[in-house]
Amino acid sequence: MKMANETAPIIRRNRPGTKNKDWCNWEDESFEEMDSTLAVQQFIQQAIRKDFTNVEEILNPPEGQDEGVWKYEHLRQFCMELNGLAVKLQVECNPETCTQMTATEQWIFLCAAHKTPKECPAIDYTRHTLDGAACLLNSNKYFPSRVSIKDSSVAKLGSVCRRVYRIFSHAYFHHRPLFDTYENETYLCRRFTQFVTKYNLMSKDNLIVPIMEDQQTLEGESEA
Amino acid sequence: MAEVEKVDFTYADADKHEFEMAELYSYTEEPDFATNQVCFEEAAKAHGFEKWTSLSRTEQMSFVVSVQDDLEVTEKERRVKAIQALLYLAQGVYGECRSREHMYEVSRECVLLYLELGLYTSLVQLLAMEVENSATALMALRKPAVSITDSKELRYILNILYIMVETSRTCDIGRDASDSLSQKLIEAREMFKDELVQAIFGEDPLSVLLFTMVTRFCSGSAPHYPMKKVLLLLWKVVLLTLGGLHDLERRKNDVRELHGLPRLAEDMYTVCETMRPASPPASAADLIEHQVPRRSLRAGKRSLVKQSSLDDSFALSPRGEEDDDLMDGLKSNSDEDSPPTPPRPATPTVSHRTLPWKPKVRQKDLENFLDNTRQKFVGFEVKNDHTSLAGLPQPIHEGVKVLKNHLFISLSEVQIKREEEIAKNPLSKPETEVENSPPERLYHAMLSNLPQYMIALLKLLLAAAPTSKAKTESINILCDVLPDEMPTTVLQSMKLGIDVNRHKEIIVKAISGLLLLLLKHFKLNHIYQFEFTSQHLVFANCIPLVLKFFNQDIVAYVNAKNSIPALDFPENVLGEQPELTAENIESGDSHPHCWRNIFSCINLLRILNKLTKWKHSRTMMLVVFKSAPILKRALKVRHPMMQLYILKLLKMQTKYLGRQWRKSNMKTMSAIYQKVRHRLGDDWAYGNDMDARPWDFQAEECALRACVDRFNTRRYSSGGGLEPDFRPVDNNVLSLLGQKIELSPEFTHNYERWLHMEVFSRQVDWDQVMMR
Repeated sequence: MKMANETAPIIRRNRPGTKNKDWCNWEDESFEEMDSTLAVQQFIQQAIRKDFTNVEEILNPPEGQDEGVWKYEHLRQFCMELNGLAVKLQVECNPETCTQMTATEQWIFLCAAHKTPKECPAIDYTRHTLDGAACLLNSNKYFPSRVSIKDSSVAKLGSVCRRVYRIFSHAYFHHRPLFDTYENETYLCRRFTQFVTKYNLMSKDNLIVPIMEDQQTLEGESEA
Repeated sequence: MAEVEKVDFTYADADKHEFEMAELYSYTEEPDFATNQVCFEEAAKAHGFEKWTSLSRTEQMSFVVSVQDDLEVTEKERRVKAIQALLYLAQGVYGECRSREHMYEVSRECVLLYLELGLYTSLVQLLAMEVENSATALMALRKPAVSITDSKELRYILNILYIMVETSRTCDIGRDASDSLSQKLIEAREMFKDELVQAIFGEDPLSVLLFTMVTRFCSGSAPHYPMKKVLLLLWKVVLLTLGGLHDLERRKNDVRELHGLPRLAEDMYTVCETMRPASPPASAADLIEHQVPRRSLRAGKRSLVKQSSLDDSFALSPRGEEDDDLMDGLKSNSDEDSPPTPPRPATPTVSHRTLPWKPKVRQKDLENFLDNTRQKFVGFEVKNDHTSLAGLPQPIHEGVKVLKNHLFISLSEVQIKREEEIAKNPLSKPETEVENSPPERLYHAMLSNLPQYMIALLKLLLAAAPTSKAKTESINILCDVLPDEMPTTVLQSMKLGIDVNRHKEIIVKAISGLLLLLLKHFKLNHIYQFEFTSQHLVFANCIPLVLKFFNQDIVAYVNAKNSIPALDFPENVLGEQPELTAENIESGDSHPHCWRNIFSCINLLRILNKLTKWKHSRTMMLVVFKSAPILKRALKVRHPMMQLYILKLLKMQTKYLGRQWRKSNMKTMSAIYQKVRHRLGDDWAYGNDMDARPWDFQAEECALRACVDRFNTRRYSSGGGLEPDFRPVDNNVLSLLGQKIELSPEFTHNYERWLHMEVFSRQVDWDQVMMR
């Protein structure tokens, strides 16, 4: 009874049967008000929903945010969204046409998801790498908590980034139309490039997809 | 008798950092240093810089990250170049350094960088890939002679890993560790340790991968594996993750306290430091020469000394110094005319007026004593009563008091008792949570193949022993020293000869260090883990093997000079290279003794002690294999710790060597008395129960084996630490129906008949069943 007198609280739920236009269609919540342990993820997803083209804003951490957790949650989000790209890739990228994980001629990679790295076809590489990343990011051993993360575990993110990035580069160089459609829908590669540059997770000469209009200026900044 | 000087040697977990680093490389590997540098310079040029040392930290980081990307490229050549560039950085970028210190500093920075960037996993994956690489294995198998080029990639990767492990292990040893780099390294080391014990890709940790390499090499399927590096890395990984021996003593004391036992009375290492080496026992010829004067001079005094020690309590014998002189007495003549020995007054006058060790008594000894005296004075035995002294005379009371004063309960006894308790009461007193400590994890990971690992290690030890003949070996441990083309000049073959000997010495060092560490850590962790390991060592003939090792001119081995300082890393890459001549090859280093060889000797002796202590049948093996003369000869190395372990080995078998041996080895006997811990009531020196205790090797080992097996199945086979009979009954319909049950073919053919006979034709009153 008491509840009725106050303003109805916003219930952020996608109930069964929610229409597409109503999906996640609720007011933004400020970071301070998010009181779940998944606040950071919630915050990132909210920012993406608001305007996925505003990469800068999405990557801007709230004040006082632990950097390790911030990086971790972003990478998690990237992997989740990359699954969308992988699903699209499945249509035209198969082991017969793309026998190797390659971008340009000189970038052919071994699949590191096995105890002994081996040459997997591109689509297998994509799946293995995303699976491996999901396993690692959800592993109880390295990431038992999503509130505080050990430094040694944060160090593992770099390798995941390097491997995951190859999915972008393969899609860009071998399935360009598909890549472009997906990129226009999500700005994922732009966001990823900015992310790894911002946190120094990859070296810039390995970022071979010329996606950022200002990649030149970015280089200039980081060298300064 | 040859004059043998005192050996100046301090036992430690490993040699100084620089020597441990230098020993990683063989002299044949020298050209690699230049190629590594070239690889790095190419990569640097591609990234648009020249000098690593002039880069900022972030630039260095981004360079390493991009090289890391190359590690996953399919093109082999490019991958190997990336590895070489990384190796050059880890080695300390010697092309840009003038001094050793600078180089080590750069190396430390690189190691820290690698640790932070998580290079470890990538490297181990690459190692696993090279290990599985069947192409190189096949090539090596086909070649008539395997050479150093066959193991190129493996060596580079192992080198980087070794540098990472060894540098982080020693980052706070022997230096001021307060600067920020050391602090960071110490921090990174803790994480690295954690990573090292963890399984890679849910399979095995690095140590098991290395053990697999060792067994594969010994089975002959991979003759190109660079064994020396594998063993060195394995030893250092175990040393880093489980901790050194000093650390172990400290932990042992902590665990003892946890179990309510008093701390150990003395620290072996400190006691050994204050001990003086005994002069070696005389050989038979010397004995005859000196016998007459010695008798006449010393006989009277000696009996006096003995007399006084009888009145004193055991811990307060006024012998120390005096006896040492007695020991030196034999060689006092030669002492005077040998100039290097300092004159008498200058010798340190550390007078320990007491015996170095507090005597100990086992619970069992006390019980035996009580049983015997009660039998004698009262006429019957009282089981499980260690207190009542009723009916026993006063002197016995005093005896019991002394025994109880020196009663020592070891951790192993506590653990064995606990094991028995669990076996008896599996439900009411089940095993509590086992701490997942590094030794526990290592044991668990090694358990399934532990026997093979031990056999392989011993095979390598045999092959590397200086007494074994090269021809008869089934395995060739020299594959990572032999160059592609055999030397043509005298100088080259001299160099190779030294290199080969040095290589073997280093292998012995690594194996002996590794085995001792494993035994000691397993023993502290759980006695049956130790017993399991040691039993497999014994079954693989470890005891005769070690004796065979000592059956050489051990003094020469200890003083061996198999090294060429000018070719040691980093001398070979820093500054000007002196011309190699026969003279400077032969002169060797300036050290009077060979650190690694003394280290190996002591380790092997300690292993032998560990294996035979309190094991009657294994002690008898020492007797059967005629170890006494071999050990006696090894006493010539005048180092207190080494002598202590030899004397211990002699002490345990003295009883069985017979009167004659004791009579002619009184000097050794008194050295034992003086230096080895006394066990009250132990008649090691006088007992003559040659025939009193028949020994049955089989029965004893089998009894032990049964305990060990019970422990292993209980703790490590599935079932949550319970024996099969006591596991909870599974009465869930779904899981029972899901179980796979093997049915015999006859049954599957005729199951309908069975159904008919056993099920349909039997009347079961289900109501009755439910009622019950």
